[in-house]
Amino acid sequence: MASGNGYSGKILKVDLTTGKFETILTEKYKSWGGGHGIGSALFFDLCEDKTIKGTDPGNVVTIMASPLSGTLAPSVAGRCEVQGIGIQAYPIGWFTRSNFGGRFSTQLKFAGWDGIVLMGKSPKQVWLNIINGEVKLQDATDLWGLNTRETQEEIWASVEPSKKDNDWTNLGQSRDSGRTTQRPAVLTTGPNAERFGPMAALIHDAGNGAGQGGFGGVFASKNLKAVSVLGTGGVAIADPKALMAARLWSNSYSFAGHHDDPAEYVGLTSFGSTPGKPLAPMQDTPEGVKSRPQGCVGCIRSCRGRTDTGQGNESQCVDFFWYDAHDVKAHGKITDAAPRATDAIQLSGVNAFAVEAATLWLEQLYNKGILGKGKAIDSNLPFDKFGSGEWAEAFINCIITQTDIGKELCKGVAQAALAWGRLEIDTTSGILPLQEWGLPQHYDARTEVEWGYGSLMGERDINEHDFNWHVYWTPTIAGLFGVEPAVSAQRLAEIFAKKMIPYNDPMAINYSDEGIYSESMAKTVAWHRHYTRFYKQAMGFCDWGWADFVNPYGPEHEGMTSVGENKFINAVIGGNMTFAEGMEVGRRIWNLDRAIWILQGRHRDIEKFTEYNYTTGAQPGMTTYEAPYTMPVFENNEWSYKSVAGRILDRQKSEDWKTLFFKVEGWDVKSGWPTRETLEKLDLANVADALEKAGKLGASA
Amino acid sequence: MVDKNINPTEEAASADQKGTLSRRQFLTGFGLLGGGLALGGLVGGAFLLPDQVVAIQASDGYLLVDTKKCAGCTSCMMACSLTHHGETNMSLSRIQITQDPFGKFPDDISIAQCRQCPYPSCVEACPTGAMHVDKATGVRTVDADKCVGCERCVNACPFTPSRTLWNFEEKHSQKCDLCKDTPFWDEDGGPDGKRACEEVCSMGAIKFTKELPVQSEDGYEADLRTGTVWDTLGFDGAPKSGGHLG
Repeated sequence: MASGNGYSGKILKVDLTTGKFETILTEKYKSWGGGHGIGSALFFDLCEDKTIKGTDPGNVVTIMASPLSGTLAPSVAGRCEVQGIGIQAYPIGWFTRSNFGGRFSTQLKFAGWDGIVLMGKSPKQVWLNIINGEVKLQDATDLWGLNTRETQEEIWASVEPSKKDNDWTNLGQSRDSGRTTQRPAVLTTGPNAERFGPMAALIHDAGNGAGQGGFGGVFASKNLKAVSVLGTGGVAIADPKALMAARLWSNSYSFAGHHDDPAEYVGLTSFGSTPGKPLAPMQDTPEGVKSRPQGCVGCIRSCRGRTDTGQGNESQCVDFFWYDAHDVKAHGKITDAAPRATDAIQLSGVNAFAVEAATLWLEQLYNKGILGKGKAIDSNLPFDKFGSGEWAEAFINCIITQTDIGKELCKGVAQAALAWGRLEIDTTSGILPLQEWGLPQHYDARTEVEWGYGSLMGERDINEHDFNWHVYWTPTIAGLFGVEPAVSAQRLAEIFAKKMIPYNDPMAINYSDEGIYSESMAKTVAWHRHYTRFYKQAMGFCDWGWADFVNPYGPEHEGMTSVGENKFINAVIGGNMTFAEGMEVGRRIWNLDRAIWILQGRHRDIEKFTEYNYTTGAQPGMTTYEAPYTMPVFENNEWSYKSVAGRILDRQKSEDWKTLFFKVEGWDVKSGWPTRETLEKLDLANVADALEKAGKLGASA
Repeated sequence: MVDKNINPTEEAASADQKGTLSRRQFLTGFGLLGGGLALGGLVGGAFLLPDQVVAIQASDGYLLVDTKKCAGCTSCMMACSLTHHGETNMSLSRIQITQDPFGKFPDDISIAQCRQCPYPSCVEACPTGAMHVDKATGVRTVDADKCVGCERCVNACPFTPSRTLWNFEEKHSQKCDLCKDTPFWDEDGGPDGKRACEEVCSMGAIKFTKELPVQSEDGYEADLRTGTVWDTLGFDGAPKSGGHLG
């Protein structure tokens, strides 16, 4: 029977060292919302020494669902948050996060758990088996070297040995112990992931991955191969009628409500997109391949797909894009090389962003005669077949087997560059675009600064497209097609200002040469950090659906954001939380994360982008996004869309911007450390105490 | 679990105290009248056919599903349990989506919805009349108060997975009632109202019809794509690449 509204009511704590389980009552942590909020709070409480490395047994890893997991909240229910000290960033493995979709968090809720806390290190290789309230650690010796698909299929067969086709399976001895037609949801590492830890992702089903942070390696360091969960319970809903009404209301903002009149919109939106398009794997399957759209649990966007070849199932975005351009360059069109490359990383459990950056860099090193057979960086990889599926598979294989250049790349991209003596020279020229914290550039900090600043003030590539669809892609794509964007720059600024509660700054999206260093942009970055910490990472709103700023189906192009999120939250958990109140929870979570990084060694003095951002404009071929980069600017007292491509950051102005940002956040501008006053306003006096004890509490202004 | 295979020659309970007829008897009568026979519209749950065969009142509607459109999001399952039980619980859903993430389209997904069978084995199997044909709508449904929990209806369903399911929380059987009884939804359901699964499906992969659909062993033969916007969405081929995004 479903328990409290939205929450299962308990969190599973697993001590891998002793093999013992404990139950933590969720009630204690409900003020953090769920997901990332509860994960950060649990980490803060349970990780005794936050300065350890991610592979230390003392590292605490949380896998958290949200109160909205397993509900009808659209494009929310399937997300799951993973946190702990990571091993991918350089030179410090920050306390970090990753997130994956599918159905794991839903099954976790149906099994009666709001999350899992993994502590210690198992003395032998194990996997965690959760069936409703029954929890076991099982021997994983035979699973350890298997790929992610093999592992999942072995576990499915183990958990449901009597299952026939799609039939009901009774979970237990009693007829009332619960039945399901569903497969266990498994989160697993690739083969022997401890050997390529910083590159190692966690994979669930065919294409859901928690890629950033190297959590596959963290799992393996704990001798944990996989977690499987299967449940037959439910999620109690505070106001079922309101939830159903809200869900059907949201249909009007998506293809779901417009089958007969789908929007013709040039550019990218979140909910306005058609299923599986425009950012679907179907784009990048070989000609003639048939497919369906495919969505995570509860999604109304269904951005991925499954194909009649089975290749590329459920994969999306960088899962394909890490190699598709090389395929096209070699063959003039998409062949099976791109989906083969995709499946190579999914089956091996390798982070797509890391190999994307590495591949672009290695190609340049090869072209320069630095890398190759008998070269300074010796490699027998078949570079004469670069762009083929054979090369992609050989490349991924060398990482997971630690052969050829994989001997160094298995330690991470920055670490390999360091070993080859290339880190400084190539991150200065920019041919190795590790934008901040040794992590690959995704979107350009020099142009789309909310992305860059957010990543720098945080600990990883933010990978949050809230602004990105509308301030970059849509005007850029419209420009490429030679049409005016459906929403003018002025109207865009109005929509963002209206929805960005509590700041409501009319200059929030001014990406002009002056605007990117302004107090308005400081508020924009703060808003983004607070919004995503609560709504996306704590409550689970999917990045490819939310925030919904601009929507072709909305009134005057206004999307659901600032109204929609709390419709669903309040329907599920009850109460009447306002959007602004949710933003404050986000601010609280963000401050707690900041405090943890400070305990790890964060100071404003080290918060700098890699050198190329201050010296070199974007160059085609260095990353995958060297489009014109057309963005909204406010110049000469009017709004317009303008290309800001090629811009470099001014070092001093960037430092001045950080000062503005720290003021907005209420932090010490000299150090970037939160002050006691700020923390106590957020009911974080205990966090202030911890910082003070470490001698790292910010000084009040 | 008993064998669900139904022997078509097997005499079921005589037509009988419950006012139904055996499968063989029904098929015989149905064959005599032809496939186009309109089975619905009568009050009382059954009526006499030629040769004194008793037929069961047809459902006033059916759920068509197009598995090629389904995105596997299982929202229909959550909507079903939400509107009927006030919680999202896939194990209580009257429609079941099963899928293999590594499978090949279109065989990677299966949708199991109640077909409101013209000859409902579940109704026939029930010893108490709990599983019955609703007189007003023809919907095959359960009176939970009369259910004694024998699960004969669950086992009698000829399909896999059984469209009649055991509610192990409330201890009674249940099945799709076309949302005739949805206490947690502010809409009227049933054949003349709305169906939660149909309304919530963002792909339009579920559609209600009042016409008795053409059936095969695999289910209704439904194509909800052809002639719709689906034709233009490119799922039958490879649309042009949109570039590097994401």
